[in-house]
Amino acid sequence: MSADPAYAVELKGVSFKRGSRSIFNNVDIFIPRGKVTGIMGPSGSGKTTLLRLMGAQLRPSSGEVWVNGQNLPALSRSDLFDMRKQMGVLFQSGALFTDLDVFENVAFPLRVHTELPEDMIRDIVLMKLQAVGLRGAIELMPDELSGGMKRRVALARAIALDPQILMYDEPFVGQDPIAMGILVRLIRLLNDALGITSIVVSHDLAETASIADYLYVVGDTQVLGHGTPAELMESDNPRIRQFMKGIADGPVPFHFPAADYRDDLLGAR
Amino acid sequence: MRRKSIGERIRLLGRAGIDVVGSLGASTVFLLRVLFGRGNVGNGFTQLLIKQLFSVGVMSLVIIVVSGLFIGMVLALQGFNILSSYGSEQAVGQMVALTLLRELGPVVTALLFAGRAGSALTAEIGNMKSTEQLSSLEMIGVDPLKYIIAPRLWAGFISLPLLTMIFCVVGIWGGAMVAVDWLGVYDGSFWANMQNSVSFEKDVLNGLIKSIVFAFVVTWIAVFQGYDCEPTSEGISRATTKTVVYASLAVLGLDFILTALMFGDF
Repeated sequence: MSADPAYAVELKGVSFKRGSRSIFNNVDIFIPRGKVTGIMGPSGSGKTTLLRLMGAQLRPSSGEVWVNGQNLPALSRSDLFDMRKQMGVLFQSGALFTDLDVFENVAFPLRVHTELPEDMIRDIVLMKLQAVGLRGAIELMPDELSGGMKRRVALARAIALDPQILMYDEPFVGQDPIAMGILVRLIRLLNDALGITSIVVSHDLAETASIADYLYVVGDTQVLGHGTPAELMESDNPRIRQFMKGIADGPVPFHFPAADYRDDLLGAR
Repeated sequence: MRRKSIGERIRLLGRAGIDVVGSLGASTVFLLRVLFGRGNVGNGFTQLLIKQLFSVGVMSLVIIVVSGLFIGMVLALQGFNILSSYGSEQAVGQMVALTLLRELGPVVTALLFAGRAGSALTAEIGNMKSTEQLSSLEMIGVDPLKYIIAPRLWAGFISLPLLTMIFCVVGIWGGAMVAVDWLGVYDGSFWANMQNSVSFEKDVLNGLIKSIVFAFVVTWIAVFQGYDCEPTSEGISRATTKTVVYASLAVLGLDFILTALMFGDF
């Protein structure tokens, strides 16, 4: 099976297991090119695993993962590293290199993959940092930055090589309202200005729905539903409705499976 | 606790055996990929190596020099006490040199190296894993095996034999200080006996070969444990402990095998 050019990323019949535990079972996901696609689901539903499958940091137990027309599980290790130059990932923690300052962190992909002269590297780094509002922080070390600033520097590093696909792993977690607003705007702005494909993995409903063109909701090893944010808001599926409306208990239980509460309390005596 | 049946015990034993073989296989594949895999680290491998040579080798100098000095001094003191009862205190130099070059130099340096540099390598790589720096490198299109692991592995290979030589030299100097300057052994016979009895091939070279083998094993264990650890604080702590324990046991076990091969006369 080959890839459809309308989609930047295609997961076809993908299953993934950790030990004997199934995380995904025969999942199909198609990420439209040039759009912002949100992947949502409750905590522990495997959203970050999905992102790692798309970046080929994990191999599926079965199925195909196509990115820009290439089936990642079939690529050799060195071809895979070449392929990843087309992708950028913003990790949840930022994952900045702690021994390099802000400037060197953003310059890192350029130094490794290009042979640009130093003054051009400097210009590109300053432009990327200007885009995330941190041009003034070039000399700071990662441990001198707040959580939100780290993530913005990591975003500047992720776009340093002008990737075609940008993936965000829980970008809104632990952000104050100002940083959250900046990030939401940045994701949309970068997507439209650079003409890239953005994949946002998150469980922050309001923020993700406000910028996503298309949403996937995952849970219970399956894709529970997909569509535009408006379509999913009106969905009849009780699982999707519970998630989209933020209802505490429902088909997705609030309580982790446990023995009877009364028996548990009385049995201890 | 539930008593395990014999079948269950055999199954657990089999599982443990499979885990050991699996781990050996994984670490071998890891080593081959680090040494022979292709990967892009830009044009900075030499710089990365120099940086690691500094943190792995130069930063271990103090502990190696101080330990070498004291061990040489203690050897001379003990040797003098024993040899003087036979009237052979002139042979102290020979005893100190042979003990250091053949055994204590390579073995103690490797044990100290495992504790000082090996544990630091494991903790550093484990921490990079837990803070997603290794994943981040992968997604930037840089193989962490070539960028992070390879310079550290080569730095260990190069540093430990050099540190062993420094340890032996300082140890012999410490021995001379105690025997000649303090206990009054005639310095002519101290050095002449040493010169007559120490063979370059049999003693110096064999000691060097031992240290090269130890360098290979200790650094391999250290970087593999860091790369393979569970990315949590408990996982990093366990991996660091494993590095010191496995590396120390491997050094002592291999020392016996190498000694038997080199000096066993069979």
